[in-house]
Amino acid sequence: MHNPDTIIACHNLEKHYERGGEIVHVLESIDLSLARGGFVALMGPSGSGKTTLLNLFAGIDRPTAGSLMVDGQDLTHLSRSQLAQWRAVSIGYVFQLYHLVPVLTAYENVELPLFLHDMSRSERHLRVSEALDAVGITDRHAHYPRQLSGGQEQRVAIARAIVTRPAILLADEPTGDLDRTAAASIMELLGRLHSEKGQTIVMVTHDPATATHAQRLVQLDKGRLVESSMVRS
Amino acid sequence: MASLACRGLRRRPIRSVLVLAGVAVAVFLYCTADAMRSGVERATRSASSETALIVYRQNRFCPFTSQLPQSYERAIARIPGVASVVPVKIVVSNCRASLDVVTFRGVPAKDFATSHAAETSPETMSRWLQRSDSALIGRELAERRKLKPGDRFTAAGVDAYVAGILESETPQDQSSAFVHLSFLQEQAKRGGTGGVVTQFDVRVTDPLKLDEVARAIDKHFANDESPTTTRAETAHVARAATDVIVLVQFAEVLGIAALVAVFALVANAIVLSMRNREMEISVLQTLGFRGMHIGMLVLFEAFLLGSIGGGIGAAFSYGAIALARTAMTMEGVSIAIPPSIAIALTGVAIANVLSLLAGVIPAILASRQTIVMGFRS
Repeated sequence: MHNPDTIIACHNLEKHYERGGEIVHVLESIDLSLARGGFVALMGPSGSGKTTLLNLFAGIDRPTAGSLMVDGQDLTHLSRSQLAQWRAVSIGYVFQLYHLVPVLTAYENVELPLFLHDMSRSERHLRVSEALDAVGITDRHAHYPRQLSGGQEQRVAIARAIVTRPAILLADEPTGDLDRTAAASIMELLGRLHSEKGQTIVMVTHDPATATHAQRLVQLDKGRLVESSMVRS
Repeated sequence: MASLACRGLRRRPIRSVLVLAGVAVAVFLYCTADAMRSGVERATRSASSETALIVYRQNRFCPFTSQLPQSYERAIARIPGVASVVPVKIVVSNCRASLDVVTFRGVPAKDFATSHAAETSPETMSRWLQRSDSALIGRELAERRKLKPGDRFTAAGVDAYVAGILESETPQDQSSAFVHLSFLQEQAKRGGTGGVVTQFDVRVTDPLKLDEVARAIDKHFANDESPTTTRAETAHVARAATDVIVLVQFAEVLGIAALVAVFALVANAIVLSMRNREMEISVLQTLGFRGMHIGMLVLFEAFLLGSIGGGIGAAFSYGAIALARTAMTMEGVSIAIPPSIAIALTGVAIANVLSLLAGVIPAILASRQTIVMGFRS
């Protein structure tokens, strides 16, 4: 039975793949339930399966076994095309290396996911303006990614992720490529999105300082869930 | 997506410009070769309604050596099935294959004025009739040599006054300068003055009797001092322009090869472009773009390369042909190369289709790319 307060629920989730004739167990027997409106940090050493778990939550990778419900949707039974449609509506994804489209301006990068929604030009403009304003980068809307600093690029990437008003914002090491000041600024922004707009955020990080912004810590090691604790309410 | 595809061409501007230039050159070659083919086809296409015969000196292949007594006119006119006979003296500035030959056709003035009255104004025809040294210039030749009424021009040792422009639908007429027969015979001074012509233009009463009349003419003069070879006008052009036709056929092969190059160029450009963008495709997929969208994006980029490059090449080809107004002339027979919007549009359409085909495999591969593999790349 789906609990509306639970945004992600997985049971016995496993992810294996074959490399050089050998089966690599990336995730094993993950049982996890995350609440809607929470801010969760997935932590663990390199190779612990954090990013793979995040990718499974985003529907950009498929589990080998187990069940996975995200925002009320059983992802294990969706086709590639259905997963893409679901992502367009439910997921906002922030990459460590921003991954903005280099030939589009900041405005156009943020507008890009809205083309998948049935929206008029003026509606799109309103949404993009709101998103750029929310991340504090309105004055750079006409700049191309190469004309922005790393912190500014990440802000644009966050605006692109939230412009569709997704149920969940997934962030993979969002401060991993930034200096300390820019990283603090991005974390402050994510914190604000969570506290002011009630945005559910699941963030991968290996930095304990970054993880302190989250409400809840989920520790992974060697593909297994080793600890899940509340940092603050 | 269209905007993204357009911007995609700006990622590697030098590569894009080179590909566009390659496509443009290929389509230019194709369109130009096809225009030449079209000119040859137009000049040599035989129709079941054809009534025109050309009587030429047997075994002679150049206006300089085809010399027939003008007195043959009366004998030809008496042959059953002949509707009219026009003795024509032809003088060319160059007997070999060339792209800029002036062909003078000396014709009996009154007969010509009657038969071509609809192809120029009465004032112009009157001016031509009044001056023995005047010439009526075919539209193609006038544009190629930039001649206008009132000009004088000299070619092949003939100095003539331009009485006006002749608007004829006949390809041969468009590239010729029509002068009075006696004037040309006097000016040419080859084979004696007067009484000698190059050929007879014969009209028959019934198209079905074309071959029969041709055989009758040749039989009549078979034992004469100047035996003849009579052919349908289009067959005469096709024989005279045999070498040109072979060259045009070769140009056509080059044109088709150029189109194959379009396919290879665009396919190569798209494959290289996609190889550099596996991560970006994964990002688009993460945002929710489906395989169909990615495939369309790739196809649209390929289409843009074909349509822009093809458009430039076709436009240049059309412009060059329209400006040059070139005619391939050989043995006094002219084959105009007509500028054609239809050929230009066909060139662009073929470039578009080939570009789309070139983009199909990269589009399928890109649309099937898995997100995680793209990020690992």
